[in-house]
Amino acid sequence: MSDSLLLQIFLLFNVFIIGALTSIAVRHAYAHFKPAEPEAPKHPKEPASQQGGHIPPALREKLLQASQAHFQSVLNKSADELQQDLKTTATQLNNHMAKLGSDIVAEEMKRYHASLEALRKQTETTISGAQSEIANHQLDIKNKLAEHQAQLEAKLAADIAAEKEQLVQKIDSKLSDAVASFLTETLQHNVDLGAQEKYLISMLEEHKAELIKEVRDEA
Amino acid sequence: MKLKLPDTVSSAQDLATLAREIGDYKRWFEHEAIKKRVNAKHKSEEPVLSTSVSDILHSLGAKEGIDQKSLDELTEMLAEYAKNAPTMTVTLAAPPTGSTKKTLISWSRENIAPNILVNFKFNSTLLGGMVINLGSRTFDWSFRRQILASSGNFPEVLKRV
Repeated sequence: MSDSLLLQIFLLFNVFIIGALTSIAVRHAYAHFKPAEPEAPKHPKEPASQQGGHIPPALREKLLQASQAHFQSVLNKSADELQQDLKTTATQLNNHMAKLGSDIVAEEMKRYHASLEALRKQTETTISGAQSEIANHQLDIKNKLAEHQAQLEAKLAADIAAEKEQLVQKIDSKLSDAVASFLTETLQHNVDLGAQEKYLISMLEEHKAELIKEVRDEA
Repeated sequence: MKLKLPDTVSSAQDLATLAREIGDYKRWFEHEAIKKRVNAKHKSEEPVLSTSVSDILHSLGAKEGIDQKSLDELTEMLAEYAKNAPTMTVTLAAPPTGSTKKTLISWSRENIAPNILVNFKFNSTLLGGMVINLGSRTFDWSFRRQILASSGNFPEVLKRV
């Protein structure tokens, strides 16, 4: 910001100098190509020979021509000097502006490169951070997946074992019922009580106390 | 006098039959006593009594002979017996023979209560053993119950075969 302000001030100053020099040059050129008419003396009727000095006309003419030539040479010299100064000033101005431009461009490029580098580094950091996060997340997901899979496998094995146990129990129960039904159907015919008499008496003896207690309770 | 029923009179139905027979005998005895008092010539035939009734009447008249009073007492005793005697129902796997009945009744009257009445039933599905109903309880000692109760052990037994 300060650089651009300085540049503007310098450019304005140069413009001012160029304007002043240009106006001076224009006046000199105008005076050179359209000299001004000499001023009429204050007492025109008074002959020149009678005006202070008593210079002969030939001498006066000669002096005039000499002064004109001198003036012309001075003018030419001034114009050349002005031209040279203008050229020098323009060259210096161009150089200065080129240098300023190149400095500004270099400065901007440097700043641009710096910001680019900072952005690159930031992006690199962000990307590497994101990559590490993604890697961690992937690892976490893998671990959870493995854990979940192990749980599911364990649950499946437990379910299968429970189902198998249930089926085995069902089969055992059905088999027991089948055998009991078979025995019941087969043995219920031709029962011989005579052979069971001892067994009946032994059962009564075994549970005698219960029977006596029941009779007493009922009484 | 304490009434002791023979083992042939086991169930409530037997007791009722006995009481009816004794009632008939008592009516005949009364009629004969009246006829004797009025010197009536006609005598009706003495009712045919079962062995059980005969044994009871014999034991009744063993000391002082049978009279109206003793018959009345007997009738009352039978009524009292029917009212107070505990009743046990025995269900067997087949109809019990007389010997089996007698054995069970005698054991019951010797070990449980001397005046217990025993009813007999049969149910072939028991396969063996017996089921006793006494008061409000049921004692199931049948083979069927034992087989069904042991059905859970069947797989273990099968593994050892």
